Amino acid sequence: MNTAAWLILLLPLFSAVAIGLGAFRSRKASAAMSVGAVVGSFLLTLLLIAAGGELHPNVIWLKIEGLQIDIGLQIDGLCKLMLCVVTGVGSLIHIFSLGYMREDRDFQRYFAFLSLFIFSMLGIVLADNFVMMFIFWELVGVSSYLLIGFWFEKPSAADAAKKAFLTNRVGDFGFLIGILMVWAVLGSVRFADLAKVVPGETAAITGLAGFLIFCGAMGKSAQTPLHVWLPDAMEGPTPVSALIHAATMVAAGVYMLCRVFFLIEGTWAMEAIAWIGGLTSLMAALMAVQQDDIKRILAYSTLSQLGYMVMAVGLGSPDAAMFHLTTHASFKALLFLGAGSVIVALHHEQDIWKMGGLRERMPRTYWTFLIGTMALCGVPLFSGFFSKEAILDVALENNILLFLVAVFVALLTTFYMTRLFVVAFMGEPRSAHAKNAAENSAVMTVPLLLLAVPSVLAGYFNAHAPNPLVLAASVVVLVFSMLVANTLYNGAEADPLPARFGRLAKALRDRFWFDEIYQWCIDNVQENLAKLADTIDRWVIAGLLVRGTHGTTELAGRVLRLAQTGNLQTYAFWFAVGLVALLIFTLT
Amino acid sequence: MDGQLQFVQLEMMVIALGLLVLLADLFLSESARPSLGWIAAGALGLVFLLSFRSGYTGLAGDEAFGGIYRLDGLALFFKRFFLLAAIFVLVFAVDFASRLRSGVSEYQAFILFALSGMMFTASANDFSLLFVSIELITVTFYILVSFQRHRMHSLEAGVKYLILGAVSSAFLVYGIALVFGEAGSLKFDAIRDAHAGLLGSNVFLFGMLFVFAGLAFKISAFPFQVWAPDVYQGAPTPTTTFLAVGSKAAGFVLLIRLFGSVVPELTAQWIGMLMVVAALTILYGNLCALPQRNLKRLLAYSSIANAGYLLMGIVAQSGDGTAAILYYLAGYLFTLVAAFMIINLVTREGEGEDISCLAGLNKRSPFLALALTLCAVSLAGIPPLAGFFGKFLLVKSVAAKAFGDAGYFALLAVAVFGVVVSIYYYFGIIRAIYWSKETPDDSPVAVAWPTRVALGLCVAAILYLGILPNKPINWANAAAKIETVAK
Repeated sequence: MNTAAWLILLLPLFSAVAIGLGAFRSRKASAAMSVGAVVGSFLLTLLLIAAGGELHPNVIWLKIEGLQIDIGLQIDGLCKLMLCVVTGVGSLIHIFSLGYMREDRDFQRYFAFLSLFIFSMLGIVLADNFVMMFIFWELVGVSSYLLIGFWFEKPSAADAAKKAFLTNRVGDFGFLIGILMVWAVLGSVRFADLAKVVPGETAAITGLAGFLIFCGAMGKSAQTPLHVWLPDAMEGPTPVSALIHAATMVAAGVYMLCRVFFLIEGTWAMEAIAWIGGLTSLMAALMAVQQDDIKRILAYSTLSQLGYMVMAVGLGSPDAAMFHLTTHASFKALLFLGAGSVIVALHHEQDIWKMGGLRERMPRTYWTFLIGTMALCGVPLFSGFFSKEAILDVALENNILLFLVAVFVALLTTFYMTRLFVVAFMGEPRSAHAKNAAENSAVMTVPLLLLAVPSVLAGYFNAHAPNPLVLAASVVVLVFSMLVANTLYNGAEADPLPARFGRLAKALRDRFWFDEIYQWCIDNVQENLAKLADTIDRWVIAGLLVRGTHGTTELAGRVLRLAQTGNLQTYAFWFAVGLVALLIFTLT
Repeated sequence: MDGQLQFVQLEMMVIALGLLVLLADLFLSESARPSLGWIAAGALGLVFLLSFRSGYTGLAGDEAFGGIYRLDGLALFFKRFFLLAAIFVLVFAVDFASRLRSGVSEYQAFILFALSGMMFTASANDFSLLFVSIELITVTFYILVSFQRHRMHSLEAGVKYLILGAVSSAFLVYGIALVFGEAGSLKFDAIRDAHAGLLGSNVFLFGMLFVFAGLAFKISAFPFQVWAPDVYQGAPTPTTTFLAVGSKAAGFVLLIRLFGSVVPELTAQWIGMLMVVAALTILYGNLCALPQRNLKRLLAYSSIANAGYLLMGIVAQSGDGTAAILYYLAGYLFTLVAAFMIINLVTREGEGEDISCLAGLNKRSPFLALALTLCAVSLAGIPPLAGFFGKFLLVKSVAAKAFGDAGYFALLAVAVFGVVVSIYYYFGIIRAIYWSKETPDDSPVAVAWPTRVALGLCVAAILYLGILPNKPINWANAAAKIETVAK
């Protein structure tokens, strides 16, 4: 079983290295290697789940006196659930990519990066200590940079990749300080050891460490104010959006919070985390209402759902968060891949106002997208219903204010998803591409059908009787919001909201000017600091220190070379002098 | 006596192999002779495997021939090390055969004879065997260095090595005589018992210092390093490789045995001198390498600097220090073999080994470019490669002693400074490969398959020693435990 656990992690690495080094000449072999690796990991995960129990495989990487470094995996229920999500959804996305990227010039590079990403992500999931998790955390950052910027010839894609990487680094800085603090205060970085010592520590200190570590999650899971990278990251290929922004990378933050929940439990950090989550979910849902790009709507919706999950952790229920993470991974991957299917059929058209009438032309995409939408909106008996219900339950018990926020977000969610669905799929085609659209081949639609299954059923694994108040509230907002959105958008040629709400709609459309504010800060603060640092670097460090040292050592080298005359007699002379010097040195 | 011969079975096989090569030369055509090197290398591979036979390793810990020959973990480690080095050098010599012009089989045979000398040094437990085995190495190297008789450089290097080698041998034998005069025995075991009482005797100290000077010449430590750049540059490249790896390691096995196990109290008394020698060797090698443009000369200076790092393991005076030397030498073997092989492939006969000949190597042969880059990075001591781990262990072994004596800290500071300086010239190599403006030659480089395999093995070993150090550290630790036979 231990071998299986290691193989889960190493198969994608092997694939990434093999493809990256050019071991395969043909495109097909590379893709087969990559798909085979992730499917292999998925099957091994199922094997681990079937075997049951917990595993802690551990290798001593280095052991010398006074220093021992281990590499260990922690495979428990939480880890297995996440493994299942990452490799399962990952497998389907790999297969979908075969169709989506079919004509891309850099087909092989794409699959190498994809395998690298899966490897990094699995490392986070399997890690049994903070250091290893941090290394893989950064690797996810790197591989997501490569994937988002996959079409690097497009300036917008290159910028988006840079933005994602830098924003994540801001959060990771906090994460690193948090890890160092945990190590300094608690004396270990292994989760299992930490869980034992934390109860004896002051809550204020562990809370601070926990909050710093949460900063890392804020970056990866795109919580306000570090959410700005996620919508831009839609510049990557759509399967990448599905992989990164539905099932894996953004979920890493939530997973990590659940993994280290023992650290923040009962401290002030919980409150802060809950509010940041709530705020993120509210703002993102508001912004989603006024977007026109099909992928951006889904991106903001992802932000909003991540806010839900973070809020659930903050309210003390990692179970509810992980439950929602799991169901969300399947239906959001379904929605993204559905969007990808639409985008391919419409020759890379992403504006929903240029779609319409796809219902008859793309029936399989239509039905599966409908299932995804219903799951996201929380229509009763779909998977999203149960997990959202669980979060609302927790909110009602702990914090009535956040409960109201969550219900309002649910209302907005139904509104923007109905808007998206009605505009894109119903009515008449609004462009030539939409008129000529045709359903995609099986390699793309089969993953959609396969993802539709858990989108409906995943909720039943953890279903419990809902609180009647919560049930009533969510059904009322669902029906109300669906009706409103349907009336507004059914048959509409353009969005009626800007005319009615003017400035408010514009604020939503412009995403509350977050990017502009950041840009202003960068221009005015960072630029000046950078100039100052550049001056110091140029004159003091490069000029005085580097060139000074370089000059001195170079000179010393040239002088010493004079001793190397090439003359044999001189050499023999130096020998004798050397020996005499040593004699004097040792005998006196 | 019969029972004792099994102790030297490996050495006997190597010598027999050398004679066979000479004999086979008579029956082979001119064109077939170089390939004999591959067969000899294969046969040495067999000897290498035989060294793991339990019938042989079971002898470890025992002495033979009246106690002058000792087989223990350290000796076994070095015998295997020398065998590996010789295998690579033989493969290398086949590539080089066309530049030797004549006497290809003799060249191969001399490599084998030098190898047998090195294998004897690994087991030397007596000054007489020490001297004989050292001379066996040195004398064969006089020939190996000057083997390209049509090249002035090679002859010049040969003469320099001959005369300076003779001077150092004179030091050595004079020192041995003085030690014998005071201790009354040539046996290490006897000197081990007697030396504590002789620390006040100037004659004994004189003698030991002369012995040290003779060995310091072998490892090219300051102030006995001046010969190295000229000889390394002038000698045929396979000889240079064997000199830098094998001959140096032979010096180190004797230093470890002598100063680590035979006269530990003298080492403690001389610790200041050893530190100064180590520090100056590091500084001299690294600083002189800075302005160097000739690749073989550059690596000669780098090999001087490396001798300095290795001396730190002696200075540490601990099992950890010895283990660090072994680990470092293992990494150094693979790195240097690969580097010299590639330099030889890239340069053409008659042209110098100027660094500019590396220009555009990444286009001519991406594999060679990558391998040479790895070598340079490993020599510069950057993780996760073999060179980093070796340096790490050496520094750690010295640092373990450092609390309580500022001198150790000074040595560490010099070592770190040396590493920083060395990054500059090692990266000069990488820069020449990838970022040269002019690429005068872009024809692909042809590499014979045995060479390709050897290079692949070297690269794999450099990576293995750097990434998964745990097992090799255990091996080195096991070999570094020098037990003395209680009598």
